[in-house]
Amino acid sequence: MWLIKDAHVVDPAQEIDRTCDVLFDNTIIAIGTDLSDKDIPDDDSSLSIVNAAGKYLFPGLVDVHTHLREPGREDKEDIASGSRAAVRGGFTTILAMANTQPVIDNRGLVEFVLRQGERAKGARVLPVAAVTMGLQGNELVNMAELHKAGAVAFSDDGRGIQRAQTMLLALQYARLTGCPLISHCENESLAAGGSMRRGPRSARLGLAGIPASAESVMAARDVLLAQECGGKLHLAHLSTAAAVLALRWGKQQGIDVSGEVNPHHLIFCDDDIGLTDTSLKVNPPLPSAADRDVLLDALADGSIDMLATDHAPHAWEEKAQPFAEAPFGINAFETALAAVWTSLVKPGKLSVAQLVRAWSLNPARRFGVTGGSLRVGDPADIVLFDPDHAEVIGEGAWLSKSTNTPYWGQKMQGFPVAAWVGGELRADRSGMRIL
Amino acid sequence: MDLKPKPWQHKDLLGIEQLSAHDIAQIFQAAVSMKEILERPIKKLPTLRGKSVGMLFYEASTRTRVSFETAAKTLGADVGAFAVNTSSVSKGESLLDTAKTLDAMKFDLIVIRHASSGAAAFLADNLSAGVINAGDGQHEHPTQALLDAFTLCERFGPGAPSETVPGTGTKTDYTKTVPDKLLAGRKIVIVGDILHSRVARSNALCLRRLGADVTFVGPPTLLPPEMACWDVTISHDLDAVLQGADAVMALRLQLERQKSGLFPSVQEYAKLYGLTVGRLKQTCRETLLLHPGPMNRGVEIDSELADSFSSVVEEQVTNGVAVRMALIYLLIGGGFNS
Repeated sequence: MWLIKDAHVVDPAQEIDRTCDVLFDNTIIAIGTDLSDKDIPDDDSSLSIVNAAGKYLFPGLVDVHTHLREPGREDKEDIASGSRAAVRGGFTTILAMANTQPVIDNRGLVEFVLRQGERAKGARVLPVAAVTMGLQGNELVNMAELHKAGAVAFSDDGRGIQRAQTMLLALQYARLTGCPLISHCENESLAAGGSMRRGPRSARLGLAGIPASAESVMAARDVLLAQECGGKLHLAHLSTAAAVLALRWGKQQGIDVSGEVNPHHLIFCDDDIGLTDTSLKVNPPLPSAADRDVLLDALADGSIDMLATDHAPHAWEEKAQPFAEAPFGINAFETALAAVWTSLVKPGKLSVAQLVRAWSLNPARRFGVTGGSLRVGDPADIVLFDPDHAEVIGEGAWLSKSTNTPYWGQKMQGFPVAAWVGGELRADRSGMRIL
Repeated sequence: MDLKPKPWQHKDLLGIEQLSAHDIAQIFQAAVSMKEILERPIKKLPTLRGKSVGMLFYEASTRTRVSFETAAKTLGADVGAFAVNTSSVSKGESLLDTAKTLDAMKFDLIVIRHASSGAAAFLADNLSAGVINAGDGQHEHPTQALLDAFTLCERFGPGAPSETVPGTGTKTDYTKTVPDKLLAGRKIVIVGDILHSRVARSNALCLRRLGADVTFVGPPTLLPPEMACWDVTISHDLDAVLQGADAVMALRLQLERQKSGLFPSVQEYAKLYGLTVGRLKQTCRETLLLHPGPMNRGVEIDSELADSFSSVVEEQVTNGVAVRMALIYLLIGGGFNS
């Protein structure tokens, strides 16, 4: 049993945003001012008391977009390393995408991901199943069976579903499960062969460009399809102004649509790309500066519902190639919160409450998964965040198997110093002073 | 031979982007001397004896590779050529490992051509030897731009023969010129597949540095608006921009672009953007015609015109060797990597 004293508790679900104490074991027992031994139901000798003055306490972050590479590419990451890196980064629940080798498109593999997650004792790992067999964009997976086995969403993420009819049927059929269908909005004929956003910067670098329309036309298409069939749609990794417009329009029409944005699309833009810095090569590509501003506004006003990392680990030698040949993806679990804190929260572009709403409450609600609030009786998925804690990335601990982050070697500030999953302390970088 | 290089600051030549107008003038000054050497009966110098230059060509190229080899050998350097399709590269060796191997062989300079933009910069990041970019993807082809600009300066720069009185030219002393005005007031039209052309990119950068006005011409699919980012004029109408052009450069059209739908037919392309004797008259002045080669006769240039400017093409080839000699000298002879 834990008593965290004098933390700045931010829990938008209960509209708490003030200094108080939190008492929990497996579940939240009490939140209030001046909690003490007498608030503990029985005489519990295992009580740990933490003085958290100057630190924030949030419900654990929920990341709906991650790639854990197991099965198939355990050299880059596996479920154990990924879920531990995640909890070190402040995430207590993560959704693992299905584009592994083999693809998560059958019941055995859904159960495998769940079981590996339970063994790892990191963040809770919940499987996203593929929409189509082998991500081929043709036959649907057995959605009802996979949902029953534990899949919490469906996505062919990594590839867009090119045939509109397939997407329409998938949205329709997924209604059986109540799960969101996550769309990776990418028109392959428009994106073909590109390695960064098309614009003056790609022209200058001589890198084949991916036009914004490659995402926007698919976002617009999928919103219209969801309207037609009443499906539950979630737009992954939004990176264009027009896709945001499609999302806003969809919400105004009452369509059941939500959207996410990745930290790197809010922090970097295409002008930051250099010819040999493949750590910024990501799909969808970094937006123009103007589109980045639109994305940030949309997150701040709630049009974009949530943040998600799109954690995409890659082997060092794969990224140590000329830009056009390197794979897409940014390793994000252990830097994402510090990056958002430094680039968005500290300068006042996003409040702490907005941060917690977008990265904990909203994703937990939308996907119907554990976490998102600190109500009494909820599982104790908790993060203790120290805005002053600074680290040089790569010096000291690093739990992901890969290092493909643009922040490698840089000093960052604002880290989760402890995280509990179901009341169990699973990450602790604070040398927390337990009283 | 008096090259008297002012301190040359570059380890590598990766693109025109990194060169100042002063750097370019310095290369030209050295190239003037190198060209004199090429005109001697015995074309061999001991200057770079004991130095080695490696040729790493991942894309087919005859003229550029031979030009570099001739330049290096004339200066007395040893040349090692890697036939990429018969070496370990074809066994899947990464560019990084190839770079490490080259470094271990203690080359002084590596000349690389590669299909990926940024490959030369990638190699430079990982090598202690100097690197010359002989063309990287759609990014840059700096030596082509330098030889084109050198040819233009010979014709139009200070010390160039008068346009009205033939045979009046003197050798330009580039140490006594204002580098960023070398081509001031000159209008250069570059026509063709600008989007996919590293030659167009490097030329735009180089010619703008030297003060020329540059116009890009091509169909909208091969010349999207973002290509104006080098402070050049964009046009889709060749006939409308030819008037007053001092030089026109025709880019080679990759015929397979038609299959990916970038333009409807070679015939329509030739009609709109092909250079002919008649069309070139619209410049209303003596116009220098440039082509990086190899030409598609009857597509971007008609045969009659191609044959009529062959002397300039030969001049360009000689200038190519001279400019590359100058660069190799600056990079490993008197300068940075020696």
